[in-house]
Amino acid sequence: MSQSIWDPEVDFGTPAVPDAASVSVTIDGRRVDVPAGTSVLRAATEVGVTIPKLCATDSLKAFGSCRMCLVEVDGGKGVPASCTTPCADGMVVSTQTETVRALRRNVMELYLSDHPEDCDGCARGNCEIQAMAATVGSAEVRYGRPESRGHVAHPQPVDESNPYFAFDASACIVCSRCVRACSDIQGTFALTVEGRGFDSRISAGGTDFLGSECVSCGACVQACPTSALQEHSVVELGMPTRSVETTCAYCGVGCSFRAEVKGEGQDAQVVRMVPSKNGGANEGHSCVKGRFAYGYASHQDRQLSPMLRDSIDDEWRTVSWDEAITRVAEGFQALQAEHGVGAIGGISSSRCTNEEVYVVQKMVRAAFGNNNIDTCARVCHSPTGYGLKQTFGTSAGTQDFRSVEKADVILLIGANPTDAHPVFASRMKRRLREGARLIVADPRRIDLVRSPHVEAAYHLPVLPGSNVAFVNAMAHVIVTEGLHDEGFVRERCEDADDYLAFIADQANSPEAMAEATGVDPEQLRAAAVLFATGGNAAIYYGLGVTEHSQGSTMVMGMANLAMVTGNIGRPGVGVNPLRGQNNVQGSCDMGSFPHEFPGYRHVSQDDVRGIYEQLWGKTLDPEPGLRIPNMFDSALAGTFRGLYVQGEDIAQSDPNTQHVEAALRAMDLVVVQDLFLNETARFAHVFLPGTSFLEKDGTFTNAERRINRVRPVFASKVGMDEWEITCAIGRAMGYDMSYTAASEIMDEIAATTPTFAGVSFARLDEVGSMQWPVYDTTSTGTPIMHIGEFVRGKGRLVETVFVPTTERSTRKFPLILTTGRILSQYNVGAQTRRTANNTWHPEDVLEIHPADAEVRGISTGDLVDLSSRVGSTTLRASVSERMPAGVVYTTFHHPVTGANVVTTENSDWATNCPEYKVTAVQVGVANARGDDAVAQAREPAETHA
Amino acid sequence: MGNDIARQFAHLPAAQAAEAIARHLEAFWDPRMRRELEALAAEGDDSLDPLLVAAAGRLAAHASRSEPDAQP
Repeated sequence: MSQSIWDPEVDFGTPAVPDAASVSVTIDGRRVDVPAGTSVLRAATEVGVTIPKLCATDSLKAFGSCRMCLVEVDGGKGVPASCTTPCADGMVVSTQTETVRALRRNVMELYLSDHPEDCDGCARGNCEIQAMAATVGSAEVRYGRPESRGHVAHPQPVDESNPYFAFDASACIVCSRCVRACSDIQGTFALTVEGRGFDSRISAGGTDFLGSECVSCGACVQACPTSALQEHSVVELGMPTRSVETTCAYCGVGCSFRAEVKGEGQDAQVVRMVPSKNGGANEGHSCVKGRFAYGYASHQDRQLSPMLRDSIDDEWRTVSWDEAITRVAEGFQALQAEHGVGAIGGISSSRCTNEEVYVVQKMVRAAFGNNNIDTCARVCHSPTGYGLKQTFGTSAGTQDFRSVEKADVILLIGANPTDAHPVFASRMKRRLREGARLIVADPRRIDLVRSPHVEAAYHLPVLPGSNVAFVNAMAHVIVTEGLHDEGFVRERCEDADDYLAFIADQANSPEAMAEATGVDPEQLRAAAVLFATGGNAAIYYGLGVTEHSQGSTMVMGMANLAMVTGNIGRPGVGVNPLRGQNNVQGSCDMGSFPHEFPGYRHVSQDDVRGIYEQLWGKTLDPEPGLRIPNMFDSALAGTFRGLYVQGEDIAQSDPNTQHVEAALRAMDLVVVQDLFLNETARFAHVFLPGTSFLEKDGTFTNAERRINRVRPVFASKVGMDEWEITCAIGRAMGYDMSYTAASEIMDEIAATTPTFAGVSFARLDEVGSMQWPVYDTTSTGTPIMHIGEFVRGKGRLVETVFVPTTERSTRKFPLILTTGRILSQYNVGAQTRRTANNTWHPEDVLEIHPADAEVRGISTGDLVDLSSRVGSTTLRASVSERMPAGVVYTTFHHPVTGANVVTTENSDWATNCPEYKVTAVQVGVANARGDDAVAQAREPAETHA
Repeated sequence: MGNDIARQFAHLPAAQAAEAIARHLEAFWDPRMRRELEALAAEGDDSLDPLLVAAAGRLAAHASRSEPDAQP
């Protein structure tokens, strides 16, 4: 029998204790110093003494149920469990006395008496029962052992309802690790122990896993010490033989993972993704997407070769890299020769690495000779960049994720983290269970309003389009009731008198704003008082803030709120944007904006431009270039003719689909670089195959400014790294841009960007991750910003006048559509739709309030037409009271739904971030033509995961 | 688009608003977009917000193009 479980990370048995005074203990003659409160089990592991355990794991608080980790303590009574025994100074512990060894053998006999001899996990070598049995020496089981699964005391069918893992109760020892992982780590409370004594069994709420509240985060699977909960991939492929530390390519949390692999080279296969305990962003947790939905990287839809066609109506033909690169370069040069330098541009990806997007903006600036570079932040968090730069001086959030652990009041605006940032949501829920108070400002009753052991103190259903009115009213209450931090405002802010006079005006009162916000003034007043007086108050927000016509104004309004209450510059407070994509922060940091170089420095700044001119050897354009919406308008006007699109699907993700498609058709040369032939590729003339995160070597920067390494599990499946492709285009256009490794690109970034000056692959390999700014090589980064002083010196209080959106409901379009995301699918669904995550969300549905549904004769499951002044689409309805009457909601993960066919050209005044959250629509029962289209969306994707 | 910007500054005195709008346009608008706006303003396009027209008149006068402070 195998005596060890393959696990590259040591399990210390119980969590580490935060900084505390040191105590000294002696365990089996070995002395060790540990923080007071550390368990004996953990201390033993740290000093190299192995104590058997089954119910303990260092991701969970000690439980003390399995009775395997018993020890003897000099001067103490009995044989306490070492997992629940804290170290005391001078304690002397013995772990291998005859008494404890005999007790462990007896306990193991009892476990083995109901553990099948044909346990797959034992055979595979990943069952801790087997390992512990060998350790404690249980050769004889006096009570007999069940021959097979069917002979255990309470045989049950294997639950294979979840597409990624199975639950085999016959191998379960009811240690309750899974139950505790679901409650303490994930915060879903989907699992429990039913029954008592020998009848105890794990239950998913009386149903199977798929039918339960389980969100398939996999924390239970990871915690399970036997093979009772086991990934299908491990059963199919066997145990991994090595691991690669990398970073998730889904959301802006940026979870660190061990890609556990078997095989080498192109034969390498990912067996499973295991969240890394040392991950700064996730600390050992993950969600269904990052942990399980990686199969898209080897999906049959992957395009692995370059392709060309003369017209978008022609069939694609496969070509060599040389031919494809030449076509791109010559095509772009010809367009510039005929239509001018500004006739072409590029869009960099928020899913590619910092190094890959850096070279795209370099290619555009140095090879194309213009600033027509933009990124998908345009349609999500560009107002964050604008607003926080104006008020604080830097275009990013102020805190790290860990900061939420010190928050006393959380104001969550326009965000749904349990769906869009689930691993961070688990942190937030933990803090809420500890007693922090929650204010939710959202038209929709999101899960956090009321979920197991979490209830919002206030749910303020702010109407779409009224955010600035809402935040002004909050600040009005705080200032007029004298609850603001006068000292902070006077010492650390400018324009204080003007702002305080502005916000105190009755026009900003909750009562004056009630019609616009739809929020009860008394509720708003109470919430404002809580925010100002409840202790550390933190603001977390998402696209429900930014994707509005006053998105930038709202960001500045939230910054005002934080400043007037003094909630900046320490843990537990701050303004925290929940950025959507794995590297949207990084893409912005790398200068993927038409007006800014890397590091958020304007292209007109002579000193900054001079740095790049000298290094790149080219005179650079000092004028801002075109944003993505401007590119479309200019294309239709005939002045923008060529576009290079790296890793973005603008034909699906951008608003007013008809406008986008018309613009793409109007261009002479569209180059798409992606994993799949996406919606945008329908309008492309050149397709360049991209690489998945499993093939990339580089860095991602998450929503807390944390720079994480992305390491290749296998080499590029397409023959080139993505940064090599971009550089090849630049060279073919006559600009010499070459690197021998991705690390050299980061070295160039560090050499030219002060906030990245101390960053390098070597340093990241050494310390794991760093949050910028990293001003030099002695720094390990800046978790909390604006301590003592804002980046711009004093914080700027901005008069945020509420200007209502021009998008209003009318008799023809009486409802307001707002959009969002769901846990199991990601963004346009290009990745997740090609995995088993379709199990949970095979189509986008329209949530509609019962009152609105009734007058239209709509029931759940009906096909409905959703129409606006720009277009219409068809999808299924779901009658729900989560939305207020008058507001409907859908997601945009499936192209066949075409949610953006109905969204309009309205956008944020400062950044042109589309106003996705406010579209006047009408909903009606569909005619029969919708059936086929929606049925297509239900086709399950084949996967190789 | 330009009218949306103008609306955000409408609460300011007209001259101050026009200056702020102009600085925003210079910081964030491609030159061809600014030229197009100037042309429309010169033609007397009545769909343009008056503040936007005033801002268009200031565009050529500015030498500095540093990123402006926001007002709204």
